[in-house]
Amino acid sequence: MLRMTRTSTAFVILLFFLLHTTSGESGSTSEDESDDELENMDIECFSQLEIKEDCHSLICNVTELDLNNTNVNLTVCSTIIEKRICSTMEKQEGTYFLYFYGILSPKEVCVVLESNRPYCRSVEVTHIVKPETPFGINITFRKDANEYFIRYKTPHSKKKYLKDKLIHETAYRQENGTWETIQSQYLRVKLLGKSLQMGASYEVKVRSKPNGKYFKGIWSEWSSSEYFQMEAEHPRKKSTDMVVVITTVGFILLFVTLVLILTFWKTRIKPVLWPNLPDHKKTLEQLCKKPKKNFDTSFNPESFGYVHIHKVDGIQAKAEVECFLQPSAPLDADVSEKVCNGSSEMKTSLAAVDKSVLKLPVTYGGIWPSDTLSGHLCETHPSILDGSSNDIPYKVCSSNGTRLYNCGPMTHSSSSADPMVQPRSGPLNTNTMSLIQPNNGVKSSNKDEVYVTMSSFCKNQ
Amino acid sequence: MLQPVFFRSVFGILPLFIVLLPVNSSTCVMENTTVIREKYENILSHDIELLENMSEEYRDRCCRNKRHETPSAFFCNDTQEIRSLQNMACDMLKFFYKKKINKDFRWQTARVSCMTLEILRCRCDRESKNRKVCILLTQPSKDTLGAQDPKKKCCQELCELKETIASLRSCWNKFEKEIAR
Repeated sequence: MLRMTRTSTAFVILLFFLLHTTSGESGSTSEDESDDELENMDIECFSQLEIKEDCHSLICNVTELDLNNTNVNLTVCSTIIEKRICSTMEKQEGTYFLYFYGILSPKEVCVVLESNRPYCRSVEVTHIVKPETPFGINITFRKDANEYFIRYKTPHSKKKYLKDKLIHETAYRQENGTWETIQSQYLRVKLLGKSLQMGASYEVKVRSKPNGKYFKGIWSEWSSSEYFQMEAEHPRKKSTDMVVVITTVGFILLFVTLVLILTFWKTRIKPVLWPNLPDHKKTLEQLCKKPKKNFDTSFNPESFGYVHIHKVDGIQAKAEVECFLQPSAPLDADVSEKVCNGSSEMKTSLAAVDKSVLKLPVTYGGIWPSDTLSGHLCETHPSILDGSSNDIPYKVCSSNGTRLYNCGPMTHSSSSADPMVQPRSGPLNTNTMSLIQPNNGVKSSNKDEVYVTMSSFCKNQ
Repeated sequence: MLQPVFFRSVFGILPLFIVLLPVNSSTCVMENTTVIREKYENILSHDIELLENMSEEYRDRCCRNKRHETPSAFFCNDTQEIRSLQNMACDMLKFFYKKKINKDFRWQTARVSCMTLEILRCRCDRESKNRKVCILLTQPSKDTLGAQDPKKKCCQELCELKETIASLRSCWNKFEKEIAR
């Protein structure tokens, strides 16, 4: 009986020992060990990965509400290959920090007081990550898209763990306005111009945070702010208005140009661009254009006020007739001079128009040309000259029934009133009376003889 | 009379087995494969990539000639990837004190080895020496590595280390695909 009692006692003791060893080291937790003085204490920590090459940092802050103890130390313990390694954190400006290397195993942060039990808290350094602050904000305005392109940088781009594991938040606001935020996993964002106020100044800043897939944590500090000013006018709208105006003006000018071209094409434009080459045949036809058949000309005697005009019934060779006028009559002489002076002009003009007119027979002396005598009929008319002492009847010759101009008063040396005129050769004489025998069939002399006779007659005058 | 013998035999020896059980157990503790994969993808893979880049920088012409003579003794056996990785990691720790190799290269090699063992929750057979290396890595100073010997014409140890690193990388890739299914 006694042996059974000893055996059972030994068994109980051994069992107790085994239970104690197999249970392993049990870390003291804050839940198990609570102290009245440590109930209000809390430890807030965050980690910064790869802060210095391969080294990481742990920064903790102890919130003491009731304790006013400055001698507080924080220790960080970690288990490496089943061995517990502890380090004391350095105190700096109210916070505690520690550099460490391993981030795979959890860390136990304990507050060690002088008299109290340590208050510990287990932290996973990959879940309390606070990234480094972004930097290098660059704002570019794209006119074609009317948007602001914002780019920034982060130190983790060149590091291992947080390279593509961050979310970035961009905050912007108008001057003294409310902040608006945009989140992106990339290092760039866009601000649409239509969502911004024209002419206003804006402020932009950026911060980062782990994306939460494996690494968790808190927002980093805000980066330094950058400013930009929105353009006063909508650049795209302004350019659009300009395009519309220019297009409208262009169409109007084009329309006006077309109208002008169509209007002045034949009259002005075509002669300048394609001038008509002068045609000699047409030009001559225009110059030598014969008057119309019923070409009527009016002769107003009043326009020739200084000239004494005698109205006649027929057209005769006026130049030759005027040369036969007597010089005794001053009026007649003046007229004769004027007529003689003008006879040359008339002679030329008459010669140009019709040579047959100059070749008309002359009533005073001379030898009528043969070709004119054949067709002329002369009549004797009483003298119509006024103021003339010589009331000599004259004859009016007509050609082919057409009355010709008066050839002048008839003068005859003989007293005979015989109307018959005997042709005489030689120079004409005023005392010579020459009559034309109508229808006597006598042909006149040559044309040259007529002109010679007339010229000699003028000389005698 | 028979009852004390029975109780002595049962309750006397059995506790000894319970106490001695951890000594005869495996050197690796079973860990959740999901946790292993997350830690490898987010942390260890980047350090292995950095180590490979450093290995490429330290080229040695001797390694080309002797590669076929001494093939790598480390194989990534199927269904035993953890054991293979443990052996590779423990082998790499021995280069920590090889002064012929560049100091930074040795430091990064030790980091990768310790992180592999930490993720797999394994330890090396030569526990005391390897544990000391991993503890030294927690120190911010690299002065414990000692000065580096002058560079020699051929470094067989560097060649061996480069091959081990390559084997470690390929075995991790294989294990990751296996546990990702």
